[in-house]
Amino acid sequence: MKKHPIFWARAVLGAFVGAVFAVAAGGANAEYPDKPITFIVPYSPGGGSDQQARRLQPGLEKALGVEVRIIYKTGGGGAVGFSELWRSEPDGYTISNVVVPNIVITSKGEGIGFKPAEFSYIGMTARAVGALMVPKNSPYKSLAQFVAAAKANPGKLTVAGVGSTGAENFAELADILGIKTAYVPVSGGVGKMIPMLLGNHVDAGMTASSHAVKHKANIDTLVIAGPEASAALPGVPYESGWTYTTTWGVMAPPGTPADRVAILNKALNEATADPKVKELVTNNGLLQMRQTPAEAKAYVEVAVKKFSK
Amino acid sequence: MIEGLLQTLTPSVMLWLTVGVMIGMVVGTLPGLTATMGTALLVPFTFALPTDAGIAMLGGLYVCAMFSDAIPAVLVNTPGTPAAMATAFDGHPMVHQGRGQEAIVAACFASAFGTLFGAGCYLLLAWPMITIALKFGPAEFFWLGIFALTIIGSLASGSILKGLAGGAIGLLISSIGISHGNEISRFTYGIPELRGGISLVAGLIGIFAVPQVLSMVADLRKSDYIADYKSKRGVTLQTVKNVLSNPIHGIRSAVIGSFIGILPGAGSPIAALVSYNEAVRWSKDKSKFGKGDLRGVTASEIANNAAAPAAMIPLVTLGVPGSSPAAVIAGALMLRGLNPGPELFQSDGTLVYTFGWSLLVAGIVTFILGSLFAPLLVWIIRIPLRLLAPLIMLLAVIGAYAIRNNIFDVYLMLGLGVFVFLVRRLGFHPGPIGLGLILGPIIEPSLVQALYIADATSIGHVFFTGTINIILIVLTILSIALVLWARWKDHVRERASTRLEDRTEVVGEPE
Repeated sequence: MKKHPIFWARAVLGAFVGAVFAVAAGGANAEYPDKPITFIVPYSPGGGSDQQARRLQPGLEKALGVEVRIIYKTGGGGAVGFSELWRSEPDGYTISNVVVPNIVITSKGEGIGFKPAEFSYIGMTARAVGALMVPKNSPYKSLAQFVAAAKANPGKLTVAGVGSTGAENFAELADILGIKTAYVPVSGGVGKMIPMLLGNHVDAGMTASSHAVKHKANIDTLVIAGPEASAALPGVPYESGWTYTTTWGVMAPPGTPADRVAILNKALNEATADPKVKELVTNNGLLQMRQTPAEAKAYVEVAVKKFSK
Repeated sequence: MIEGLLQTLTPSVMLWLTVGVMIGMVVGTLPGLTATMGTALLVPFTFALPTDAGIAMLGGLYVCAMFSDAIPAVLVNTPGTPAAMATAFDGHPMVHQGRGQEAIVAACFASAFGTLFGAGCYLLLAWPMITIALKFGPAEFFWLGIFALTIIGSLASGSILKGLAGGAIGLLISSIGISHGNEISRFTYGIPELRGGISLVAGLIGIFAVPQVLSMVADLRKSDYIADYKSKRGVTLQTVKNVLSNPIHGIRSAVIGSFIGILPGAGSPIAALVSYNEAVRWSKDKSKFGKGDLRGVTASEIANNAAAPAAMIPLVTLGVPGSSPAAVIAGALMLRGLNPGPELFQSDGTLVYTFGWSLLVAGIVTFILGSLFAPLLVWIIRIPLRLLAPLIMLLAVIGAYAIRNNIFDVYLMLGLGVFVFLVRRLGFHPGPIGLGLILGPIIEPSLVQALYIADATSIGHVFFTGTINIILIVLTILSIALVLWARWKDHVRERASTRLEDRTEVVGEPE
């Protein structure tokens, strides 16, 4: 059946008027957010940051009512992704994963355009303290044995860590223990370090304790950083003077309006409050965190001060 | 293990596995969309599925992408992922001989064979193989990288000096950015984007695709198409027979692929290159390599596919992913609260075996789909050059951008492309440059780490003791000696024949 031209005219007009009303209504109470949000992951897929983003994505989408799109901008130890966020529009529609203290240490490189203290921090969500680990078949069964061996043969034991962040953090522990060892920098993440450790190519490895939890079938932890023992690593001694902590959080470009940061912070804390997310965080050997934007900013400022030397 | 097979053959797993394979076909074919990117993009969708079906889909994508990256490598001389670089060496010349369909079918069958072999290793030999793999420390990786560099001898058909120079250029380009280990900026000239280094994928697209497009444009007046092509019947069966007629070659490539695949950090590209090199070394008639030898295609494709399931072995035995796509699959498991590694092997053994069988089945599905589509795919070369050139260029730009979402990579890709186009006219082969680009990130960090370890003992102890080190060093020296010897023999023969020609004025090609 053919429809009368008037029908089409009416239909088109109706649609048009409807659309105009919809747009006007939308403009009148344009509530943030009303379009998809881009979530930058500055490290490779499958790593700790990707895990964080994927963990939070469903909760953020539910709380914000818009799509959250994860994109990877990798390279330069996170520098490429952080620089990208630095240059992004501060409208709350681009956010990024952040890792402390890695962002601070990366920013010390020459030609880096961004300043870690100036981003708009939404909140830190999880952290892991540092751990010194040996393979199960290592001759060193305790920290005391390791320290004794290191003192008997100065500079003869090898300890692997990730890049210059690892070097600075291990130097702190070596100072406390009064030992001198050869430091072996691993590039491309912890994934490359575990086989070196398991194959006895280095004597010990140092990284976030979440990896010690993940690999506890093959790896023993000699000591962890921080003022308290870890529930995930029972019986492992802690060294309160050792401050090495890795923290994962979310940030927005500098100058993002405070009300939008507050909306994002609320959504973030709703996402992390989900029991499923909590369980994943604990299973992965991480400690859950809940912060206000002000607390997050202060948290980064402490790290900036610590590594500014 | 049998439970795993039965679980794999359930409709749900088979369905999603096939979907994964089909997506992998697209992902691998498009340069710039790597298996890593493809699996990462697919992860959120797998959460709606049961765990076994979800990871079977990701595994299917990975396996198929390791085949379909051969399609652009063969047809337009542009590897779909870095793993297919060696496939292009002989695959593309085959197209010029009108054997495009044969090359694709061979790649497809070789991929399936490699996958079956690699998955067999996963199912049967995971634990013994990982014990050997753990013996590879930084020094061993360094020598492996150096050994892989000797492939320049097989690649540089013309001047060996130009081959070496090409390799050096590639290595030099790979050193741009923050150095591995101690993180010093090199050749960055204050440009923040360069700190991230040259993206391997964008670099390879630049080296292979752009010069190809430029030559197409330069040749426009000479021809309208890349090559002539008529579809033939019975090619599939004949090609499969050809590949099977050389079982030693097939098994050697598969063993190399599986073993290199299992080494965390080495991966499919290295597996394919070393396998190609060995294929040249062990064949009696080396003259056809680089000019359309079917064995070149199969050596590369068998190895890069065998490496894909093998890269899952360290994941399930140690909890350490053997390649970037394996890392994504590990992430997907962890987001489900599962901890890939020895514990999962014990607590959820069926899942681990189901995954192994899924990879194996994915190889078969890839072959079925691939050989069905091969005649269609080859029609790409029937696209007139004036359409094909801009199309490849468009894909190259999208690919270079997509890999890191960085426009700077596109500029780099174009710059490198023009550079390679120019040096190609001077007799440089793009192969060694790409080789340097792939091997730099393996050789350099392992050298740095081994040197730091040597601080505690001595350089002699770290680099020159240990069975694997000695084997790799001997292989490297032999490899160089063989190339030099073959060159010297050619040289003598050439001299003799020119002298003969001078004297008797016999017309004709030597040989």
